[in-house]
Order: sequence, then structure tokens, then C-alpha cells
Amino acid sequence: MTAKSTDDEIVLLARQAGLDLPPEYFQELVSAYANVREMIDRIPTGRPRGDEPAHVFAPMKFLPVGQ
Amino acid sequence: MTMTEFPTIAEASRLIAARELSPVELTETCLSRIEAQDGLLDSFVTLTADRARAEAKAAEAAIGAGGPVSPMHGIPYCLKDIYDTAGIRTTGMSRLLADNVPVRDSFCQEKLAAAGGVLLGKNATWEFAHGGPSWDVLFPPARNPWNRDYSPAGSSSGSGAAVAAGFAPATMGTDTGGSIRGPAAACGIAGLKPTYGLVSRRGVIPNCFSHDHAGPLAWTSEDVAILMNVVAGHDPEDPGSANVEIPDYTAALTGDVKGLVIGVPQSWLEDEAPPKPETKAAFDAALKVFEGLGCSIRPVKLPPLRHFDDSKKTIAVAELFTIHGADLRKRPDLFGASLRYRIIAGGLVRAEEYIQAMRMRTDLARAMQAVMATVDLLMLPTQEPAGKLEPIDPSTLFSRTSFTTPFNVGGNPALSVCSGFANSGLPFSLQIVGKLFDDATVLRAGDAYEKATPWRSKRPVLLAKEAA
Repeated sequence: MTAKSTDDEIVLLARQAGLDLPPEYFQELVSAYANVREMIDRIPTGRPRGDEPAHVFAPMKFLPVGQ
Repeated sequence: MTMTEFPTIAEASRLIAARELSPVELTETCLSRIEAQDGLLDSFVTLTADRARAEAKAAEAAIGAGGPVSPMHGIPYCLKDIYDTAGIRTTGMSRLLADNVPVRDSFCQEKLAAAGGVLLGKNATWEFAHGGPSWDVLFPPARNPWNRDYSPAGSSSGSGAAVAAGFAPATMGTDTGGSIRGPAAACGIAGLKPTYGLVSRRGVIPNCFSHDHAGPLAWTSEDVAILMNVVAGHDPEDPGSANVEIPDYTAALTGDVKGLVIGVPQSWLEDEAPPKPETKAAFDAALKVFEGLGCSIRPVKLPPLRHFDDSKKTIAVAELFTIHGADLRKRPDLFGASLRYRIIAGGLVRAEEYIQAMRMRTDLARAMQAVMATVDLLMLPTQEPAGKLEPIDPSTLFSRTSFTTPFNVGGNPALSVCSGFANSGLPFSLQIVGKLFDDATVLRAGDAYEKATPWRSKRPVLLAKEAA
């Protein structure tokens, strides 16, 4: 996917997201997605397999309150 | 009574403890000012006057019987309207929550109430603390008390305006990319984004879980420290809450900053996003003040600003869609146009893309902490002086960079203080950034700077007759 996604591609992605939008909001989505796409395309990929994301699961944080 | 026209928390607290100021009188002063002048600013969306009067009377009786339980005892405050308040509507400025009345207080409201504070009401925000300014949401946007044609910035816009106008000495905001520091900067007050996890977000309507911070705004850094003594602390109900020892933040305000090493992110200021000359001059003057106080200044190199914004905003748009997706699918018309534009594409972000952005955050946070290990503080302008209050093309959220977002990505404490006034009369701002969980040094520096400069002696002037 690139910043120049077609409307058909966005329709498909929107459908997968459960968004069945009226035309005026669909054009908003097309415009907004172009901006989001530009950001995503600047994010590095091709990382080593072991590179961890910034969120990790810390089980102690989910103990019932008081334990 | 020897109360000044606009007492700080610290001043009012001393007078209350000495029985020279009545919490009832202080509360009535705030309520009178709000009722006379908030028509000019729209900084409050809900005023809880009757409740405030009852709380002030109770505080006065309790203080009379046994003395104050904390420096906040009998002090009026307000909350951004995304903090849950039991029995008081909490709307997030959204038509989706027009009738939302929580049954339980947020963590911060519990703490402030237990400290004896007097809740005046709820402050205007941008819709769900993200989209704005908007004229198609539940309430009109707040205005800047230094010039009502200008924006108080967002999203804690009403919070910044209310404190600067002297409607309340204290308020709580939230900051996901700069939403405490931006309004503090635009309104010429002090606002702290604490270290991530230091203040619980429980009971605060989320913006972006991974970057949300709750924190105080007040007229001075000293007052921010008083508020941090109340609200900082571990909360097992907030998975992001840190279980760390909480220092006495007011005890840290020694006035002595001699020997501190201050880093300045030179490539941001000279190459990537050079401030306007007037803003740069104000910043250079602030650094001179710190040099005069015995600090040393050195350039530091951080990753490009753009990297921080790309990582944070990709994560944010996906998290926002997760939070609001059900409403976007069923009733998109109830969102303001600004917020809808800013979140609707989040549903098209794939899981891999979100996780790559989170991996990028790992790199950026490590790079930030590596630089912070070489200095005591970073300093830079928070932002340019306030812009006009007018609709903003929502696509600029994605395209512009900011000096505030990097410290949401890193989680570092960051304080904005007033650093003078532009020719327009609008405030300049200085951002002071610290090592993780060293919020005390950040506040110490902010306090020392405020006491070494004249900026805290000037208040905006509102003319009540204009409200008619």
C-alpha cells in the first residue's frame, strides 16, 4: 500500500474495518488515510526478529486490587 | 483578609492555615469571577457552584476544628471535562456523552477531594481531548484570556484559560502530545506533564492509552508541586501506574539550581523547526537566566522530531479508532468534524503497522533516555505564542511536528512555564524536561526561573462588561 491508494482499495480496507460510510464521510476517510499512510510509510521496517515493541505484558499489573 | 487579588495555592494555603482567609470567601471570589467573566472565555462547561459552596463551608468547619489536612484544604480547583466526577456530568465536549454522568470519581478527583479541595466545575476541552478547536461539538471552544481572539491551545484549553484568568488557582488536565503544556504555554501559566505512570489515569476518558498523561496546571511551578503532592502515587487500577517512591515535590523547591547541566536540542531548533526570531530571543534570554543561576548549557542531539511524531501519531490513530470505532460505525454524525477526520483512518491501520510504530517508539525512548543520561535537564520553547482561534485544517495534525510530542514518546516529565511576553502581548513559553521520575528537579528549575524573572506579576485583564 502507498500514499496513492485508490478509492477501491480504501473501500476494501474500510469494509474490513466495518466502516460502511455515507459518501461525504468516505471522502473524509480518503483524505485522512492519505495523511496517515504518509506517516506509516516513513516508519522503518525490516527489523531484526527480536526487536520488541514499546509495550510489553507485565503480569503483576493485572493482579486483583489488594494483592 | 490580606488576600491578594489572585492568590496562588501557596499563598491562599498559608492564609487559610493562619485563619486569615476563609475557604468560603475564597470560593465565593472564584465563583463571582466565573459568573461575571466566563461568558468571555467559555472555560467552564459545567459549574458546580452549590456543591462548591457546601464543600467550602465543610472545609472551613473542619479547618476551624482541627487545622488543614493538606495545603489543598479549602482551595478551589477544577477538572478538565474528561475526568470522571461521580454525579456530575462528564462529557469530553462530545455530543456522544451529552448525558454521561459517572457513578465513580476518577483517581485524581478522589485524591483532591480527600485533600480537602473545593471542586468548582469542569473545564472545556477539545472533543475527547483530541479534535479541535470545534464549533460543532457540545460546547463552544474556550478562548485565550490574554486576547479573546486567540486560542488557548488544546486540548486542556479551558483549564489553561481558567487558571490564567484567575477563575481558579488549580486545575487538572491531560497530555497525550502536548495538551497540558500547550495550553499552559498559550495562557502563560505552569503546566506539568508528569513522568508516564506517575499520576493515575483511572477514570479519565482515554485519548491514546500508550501516551496519555494526567497532570496539573496552575499559575506557578510551586502550585504545580503542591498539586503533585496530592495526585502523584501508585494506583493498582491503572495498568500504566508506576509503583515508585513519591518525593515531597514542594521540599524540592530550594531555589538552588547551581551546577545543573542543561541540554538544548540544537538540530531541532536550528535545522528542523527553527522558532520565529522573537521566540528564539525569548528562549535565549531564558537560558541566560539559568546561566546566571549557575547552570551550564550544552547542545545535545536527539532523533529527528519527525520520527517522534510519526511513531506517536500512527500509534494514536489506531488506539483512538479502537476506542471510538463502535460509534464511528453507527453514528459518525455525532462526532465533530475535526475529531472524526483525525481518527477515522485509524481503522485502516494494520496490526503490523501499529506494532512497527511501537518498535520505533522503543528506539526513540531509548535514544531519549541516553541523551538524558548526559544532562540534568533539557530546555526548549514549548511552542510559538498562541495563534488565532479559528478552525484548523485537521490534516495538519498529521503533517506538523511539535516540541512537546517527543516527551510523550519518551515518557519524560516536561513542564511549561511562562518566559515573557511577545509584542502582541501573548505569552512566550519555556519547556523544561527531566529524567524519568525526576519531576522534582524539573519543578525546582521552573520555580527558580519564575522567582528570578518578573513574569508571574502580570495577569490578563478581562472586562466583564464585554460579556453582555
